[in-house]
Amino acid sequence: MAKPIVEMEIEKVTMELPDTKTIRLKWPEGYNPDFKTGQFITVYWPDTPSYKRAYSLSSCALDRGFFETTVKRDGKMGTRIVDWAKPGDKMFVIPPTGRFLPVYEPNKHLICIAGGSGVTPFRAFVREATKRKLETKITILYSVRTTNDIIFNDEFHQLQLQNSQFNFFVTCTRLHPQDPWTGRRGRITAEWVKEHIHDLSNTVFYACGPNELVEFAEHLVLAEMKVPKEQIKTEKWG
Amino acid sequence: MTNIPSDLKYAKSHEWVRVNGQTGVVGITDHAQHELTDVVFVELPAVGRQVKAGEACAVVESVKTASDIYSPVSGQIVEVNKAVVDNPALVNTEPYGGGWFYKIQLSNLAELNTLLSPEKYKAQIGDLI
Repeated sequence: MAKPIVEMEIEKVTMELPDTKTIRLKWPEGYNPDFKTGQFITVYWPDTPSYKRAYSLSSCALDRGFFETTVKRDGKMGTRIVDWAKPGDKMFVIPPTGRFLPVYEPNKHLICIAGGSGVTPFRAFVREATKRKLETKITILYSVRTTNDIIFNDEFHQLQLQNSQFNFFVTCTRLHPQDPWTGRRGRITAEWVKEHIHDLSNTVFYACGPNELVEFAEHLVLAEMKVPKEQIKTEKWG
Repeated sequence: MTNIPSDLKYAKSHEWVRVNGQTGVVGITDHAQHELTDVVFVELPAVGRQVKAGEACAVVESVKTASDIYSPVSGQIVEVNKAVVDNPALVNTEPYGGGWFYKIQLSNLAELNTLLSPEKYKAQIGDLI
C-alpha cells in the first residue's frame, strides 16, 4: 500500500554554506513513520503540486519527530528552498523510500565516496552509527571544489571525536595553488580509495554525487577490483 | 535498450539535433532522460536569441537534479516547444518526438560535422552496437 503524503511544517532552517541549507520538517501530531537511514523523501510546495524533487535525508532513522534534508541551490526547487524557505512554511512530503542503506554489521567497513552535496546521506549513516555506538567502521572520502564547499565539516569532525570507528577525509579539486589547505588535493582516485581498504571482502562501497563520480566508483569496484555488485550501493544525481 | 535514432546528430553532452535544410530541431537523448529520471521542469530560451554551439541555453530539472542543456549548434532560436514546458514528462516519454526543446536557424552548417554520428554516440554511452 502506498504511504500517505503528509503536509509538514518547516520547523527550522540552517544555512550550512552560502548555497546549502538544511530544512527540518516537523512531523504532524501522531505521525510516526517506519523508515531507514539513507532513504530519500520527495517534497513539493502546496502551490506547485506537480513539481516535485527528491532529496536524501540527512537525518537518520533514530531522529524522531522530524525529517532533515540538506539542499543545494540547484534548479528551481533548490533555489526556492535555499533562498526562500523559512520556519512556518508548509511542504508536502512523500515518505522515505530507497535502497541506499548502510550495512551496520560489526565486521563491515563502509567506504563512502561523496561529491558535493552527495555527502548528505552519509551524515545520516554516521549519526545512526554514532548514536548506537556501533562497531561498524565508516570512512567518508569526500570530494569538494574548495574548502568553502565542505558541507557538515564541523559536524563530521565532532562525530570523529565521538566515534573512533569513523574517519572523514576531504580532497579539494579546485583550490588555488597558494591556498593554505594542507589536506589532499585533486580528484578521488583509485589509489586513494584503495589506501583505505583493509579487508576487501568485508568492505561495502557507497557512492553518492555527480554521475561522473558514481560511475568512477562503479568502474573501480566492479570492473577493476572485481568486487561482487552486492558490495556497492550508489545514488546518482542524474 | 537505449533508443538512438539513425537520422540525428548528437552532442557529447547528450543533446540531439534533427536537421531539415537550414533549420534544426533540438532535444535531449533517450539516454539522458533515463539518467535524469522523471523530468519535472523545463526552461527554454527566448525566441530570437542567438546561441553558440556549446552554450548553455536551457535547463531541465528532474526529481533528482537540475542540468543545463547546451546547444549542439549555433544559430537563432526560431521556435520553442511550449507543450514540453506545460508537460515536462514528454521529455521522458517522447525524447525524440513531443519532448523536443527548440528549433534553431543554423548559422554554420559546418558545425554538424563536429557532432557525433549515432554509432559514435552509442559508443560514447557504452552501448555496444
